[in-house]
Amino acid sequence: MTNDRPAHVAVESLTKTFGNSERSLTALDGVNLEIGWGEFVSIIGPSGCGKTTLLRLIGGLLEPTAGVVQVAGREPRAAQRGKEIGYVFQDASLLPWRSVLDNVRLPLEVNRRNGGSRRNNQPEQLLELVRLEEFENYYPRELSGGMQQRVALARALVFEPSLLLMDEPFGALDEITRESMRYELLRIWQASLGEGEAGRKTVVFVTHSITEAILLSDRVVVLSSAPGTVRAVVEIALPRPRSEGVETSRVFLDYTAQLRSLLKEPSPV
Amino acid sequence: MSQPIVDQGQQMAVASPSVGSAWDAQRLRRVLVAAGRDLLPPLVALSLAAAVWEAWVRLRDVPDYLVPAPSAIAARLAEDPAFFARQGGITLYGALAGFGLGAAIAIALAVLMAHSRFLERSLFPLAIMVKVTPIIAIAPLLAIWFGFGLMPKLFITALIVFFPVMVNAVVGFRSVNPWALELLHSLAASPWEVFLKLRLPSSLPYLFAAFKVSIPLSVIGAVVAEWFSGQDGLGRVIQVSNSNLDMPTAFGAIVSLAVMGIGLYLITSLLERRLLSWHESTINP
Repeated sequence: MTNDRPAHVAVESLTKTFGNSERSLTALDGVNLEIGWGEFVSIIGPSGCGKTTLLRLIGGLLEPTAGVVQVAGREPRAAQRGKEIGYVFQDASLLPWRSVLDNVRLPLEVNRRNGGSRRNNQPEQLLELVRLEEFENYYPRELSGGMQQRVALARALVFEPSLLLMDEPFGALDEITRESMRYELLRIWQASLGEGEAGRKTVVFVTHSITEAILLSDRVVVLSSAPGTVRAVVEIALPRPRSEGVETSRVFLDYTAQLRSLLKEPSPV
Repeated sequence: MSQPIVDQGQQMAVASPSVGSAWDAQRLRRVLVAAGRDLLPPLVALSLAAAVWEAWVRLRDVPDYLVPAPSAIAARLAEDPAFFARQGGITLYGALAGFGLGAAIAIALAVLMAHSRFLERSLFPLAIMVKVTPIIAIAPLLAIWFGFGLMPKLFITALIVFFPVMVNAVVGFRSVNPWALELLHSLAASPWEVFLKLRLPSSLPYLFAAFKVSIPLSVIGAVVAEWFSGQDGLGRVIQVSNSNLDMPTAFGAIVSLAVMGIGLYLITSLLERRLLSWHESTINP
């Protein structure tokens, strides 16, 4: 086992405050969290609870006010430069002047100094993985929202990051597309586990959907709002691989009830 | 978005090679129909205007040295096309060189200003001052400063082109999709890579809007410069023929300038359509 290795993501008494001395907002207050290698962890909480802020801190897009974030024992910025983090946002953020294939290639074209020697995925193969191989020459505007988000996922995987940060990636999609995207993601992540150490992916997934969190995750982190603190961490002991229909099982509904009550609990004032 | 959304399983039909020639004929027909639709109305309007002009000059017996008839202008152009082409070439060269210079400086400054609010605050008032000063007011000075020939032409044209390009470029470099910017940051892209991959392509619609305004302005700039400090060029031709009361030549030069302006505008539009095929403005014109 890899017990001597540092946790993939380690967050220690992390605090983030926005604003200046006159008006400030504490988004996160003393958050502690450890995420293991190959784990799928969801972060859930009411809107404005700092889930996105937490993810941005892990991804090195923000600097903490206090506390420490480490990715594989290093600063997030260093992990970012080393191309170890793939990011998927709520918006597919595809460049409209690039074809689908060129959008997937984009990460290989920037920050090349640090990516030269590593094994990259073939963009064409990734499009196959997200089932868009027929659309490589299409432009983003010609794709539906779900397809655009699949392109964004392929793009995040193109340099084989070991850590995938997903910020409500299916939040802007309709319910039907959303549902199929969840299973698509599960399938891709499950497949990565079979690829051994190198291909294995850790996923940190921000969502405000209870169903989504349970269906996807090994653990669900419940944040309280204003300021965001970890209210509870719920282990989801559903067997894998999870397939369609699992949402209606008894255990699933129990988890739903548990998370719902955790989210309802009034914040301690 | 008014674009058709393509779904998996119902992909667009692709024309197969066997129907290629039929498709070509169809395409040719479409182009001809489009050309007729786009070109015919302005040509009719232009011919009507010329006819009224011609009739007015003939019926009222207006002398040539006041207003020449379109037929007289056409005769003058046909008599010595090489002369107008040569003088027009000189003006065109000055206009394009000045346009290039002005646009290059404007874009370079816009890059700096888009990255630094401090620089924007310092430079923008200066740029506005340059803009609001009537060019005509300083044109006579240019002959004193720069003498005659290309230099004053470059100066005036660049000055005219500078402002619209700079304003639009600053807006364009800043008008980036915030998510795409976040994405590039998450990829640890350098500022230069962000500029090249995101800011520059994002600004193209704004830049082309500016080019379409400033390309005709560059011709005006070149003519003004020739008027005040030129040895040759169409601006000088107009000035000289005016003082000689040689109106057919003056109007021949004016017509040449109009053709030049239209041509430059069309080339810019075509280039825009090619480079911005992804943009809403060209998808839904």
